[in-house]
Amino acid sequence: MSRSKKIGFLVSGLIMLAGLLAWGFQFKEGLVLTNMRNSYTWGLYVSGLAFFVGNAAGGLVLSSLIYLFGVKSLKPFAKLGALTAFANVTAAMFSILPDIGQPIRLYNMILHPQFRSPLVWDVLVLNLYAALSLIYLYILLLPDLKGPLKKIALKVDDPKAFSEKWARRLAPFSLVAAVGIHVITAWIFATQGARGWWNSAVLAPDFVAAAIASGTAVVFVVALLAYGLKEEFKEAYRTMAVIISVAYFVHIFFMYNDFLIHAWYGATEALETLSITFIDYAPAHAFEVLAPLVAVILLLNSKVRSSAGAMISSCLLLIAGIFTHRFLLMPGAFDKIPFTINPLGMQDTDWSLPIASGDYGSLVNTFVTEWHYFPSGVEMIIFSGVVAYACFLMILAVDRLPIVSEAKA
Amino acid sequence: MRRGMVIDLEKCIGCRSCVVACKQHNAQPAGNWWNRVFTPGSARHLTPPQKGEEYFLPVHCQHCQNAPCEKVCPVGATYRHTDGTILVDFERCIGCRYCMAACPYGVRQFNWEDPKKAMKKYGYQAGYSYGYPKDYRLDGRLVYTPVRPKGVVEKCNFCVHYLEKGLDPACVRACPGKARHVGDFDDPDSKVSKMIREKNGFTLLPEKGTRPNVYYLPPKRKEV
Ligand code: SF4
Ligand code: SF4
Repeated sequence: MSRSKKIGFLVSGLIMLAGLLAWGFQFKEGLVLTNMRNSYTWGLYVSGLAFFVGNAAGGLVLSSLIYLFGVKSLKPFAKLGALTAFANVTAAMFSILPDIGQPIRLYNMILHPQFRSPLVWDVLVLNLYAALSLIYLYILLLPDLKGPLKKIALKVDDPKAFSEKWARRLAPFSLVAAVGIHVITAWIFATQGARGWWNSAVLAPDFVAAAIASGTAVVFVVALLAYGLKEEFKEAYRTMAVIISVAYFVHIFFMYNDFLIHAWYGATEALETLSITFIDYAPAHAFEVLAPLVAVILLLNSKVRSSAGAMISSCLLLIAGIFTHRFLLMPGAFDKIPFTINPLGMQDTDWSLPIASGDYGSLVNTFVTEWHYFPSGVEMIIFSGVVAYACFLMILAVDRLPIVSEAKA
Repeated sequence: MRRGMVIDLEKCIGCRSCVVACKQHNAQPAGNWWNRVFTPGSARHLTPPQKGEEYFLPVHCQHCQNAPCEKVCPVGATYRHTDGTILVDFERCIGCRYCMAACPYGVRQFNWEDPKKAMKKYGYQAGYSYGYPKDYRLDGRLVYTPVRPKGVVEKCNFCVHYLEKGLDPACVRACPGKARHVGDFDDPDSKVSKMIREKNGFTLLPEKGTRPNVYYLPPKRKEV
């Protein structure tokens, strides 16, 4: 194992352990250790779900591009793609696990699933996607399972042809599943009439667009780390840069299309919701739009693409922007209580009904009409632990399995 | 039979007895309030709005007929009883809080920590306890328990534990203004149905399409 891999192992392993311990502590004390309260019920963990689900898109979108649309240049990255898909979709599930108040009772999801709930659909489709990406990875690996790995190889006459055939057959399903996880994750939010910020028909398509941008960027980074900058991959990197750019612009279009419609009509509650993102969270909003924009401009520049470091930084900038976008899923929905009425006999008054904060302290109001959330230390450690898990798993897999093929001499 | 409630805002004197009775009878953990009485238009909760514009608005679970909380619950912990009441099974809730995001009325509360610890934190005297003391099961499901597990959601249950004793919900019994009434909304001749019809009953947030089983009667004039 190389030195850099060892360091990666150690660092991600330790952070993962810290996350696990923090979760244990939270399990014991309750979610009171988070900064969520009754008026702000979902925070970093659920944003994390949306973020990781988005990152998981890359892999299978990539493989379907290769096998459905014949984008041959991406072929060397197909295995890495399937691996990042698996790592991220499982990270998505680990990210919501600490959000559950009674994790031990999760078996109720199997004993008493309630099929009207978008959450049940999401759990189903995420598990399906995890299984699919694992199968995909296995099929792609098949021709290379030699030596001690031969034990786990399927006995077929011509592994190469077999792998090729089944990768092609599975491609349409993986494309549907890859789109499906974003659409259904978006439906968790978009179906909620109580939260105007989410209740939009554009949310699901926007989730897909943002996911293709960040998911491809994740594969991009992993590919650069694994293969470095080689002449033979230039075309593949260019293709990925183009995919990321198109997806980003589509995402921005969807987002502002929605904002414009609400801002133009100017209903008080909608304006208040928009003002949370545009005024209260102005710097974060600027970052979610501009950081990926800068990244996209850089990635489209062929000079930038002649430096691995510059490409990795650009991709990380884009991923950070999309992460901020996922974080901003919550403030618009929870910062101000959306339960607004026009009090009887009062002119021009829209009034938010306070709700019990569930918190007590000399400075905390028992009833609140707004709540400003920033994740607590425990939440951040647990979340970092999930990120570390995804990294750890990928390093482990790349180290143990023939995922990175030796470069052609 | 569809159990519903009518709250006559003309009769509500804003004393908040219902809030306290509800809190006590249902052994609500520190910080949890199933029932609230608002002074709509005021700058700060519990203070009057502009002079001449005061009225009081009690709000708790509206027991919606199209209840988003019921539809989002992944495990059916939030469910509808045969009389239309929306209940929470304290043994089944996994604490995902999806229902809290889904409810347009902000009436659901979460047990963020062990209620015993919360009591201590809030400074209740040691040993003080209140509320209906026994578990109550409906068709085997734990819909009331005096000591809540941590990590589950709770809200108004129309005092389901008093129902078979023939008792009205605590808020109805405690209201000194006699502003609250319960009855059968399916029966057009019931007292509550008549009140809604004859006194212009209305619901909260009709634009959300939840079709509440709680109606309000508008006050004829403001308390001045
Ligand atoms: S008021 Fe809220 S908690 Fe009660 S039934 Fe309606 S949606 Fe559910
Ligand atoms: S918090 Fe409990 S009652 Fe609410 S949706 Fe989740 S499992 Fe159902």
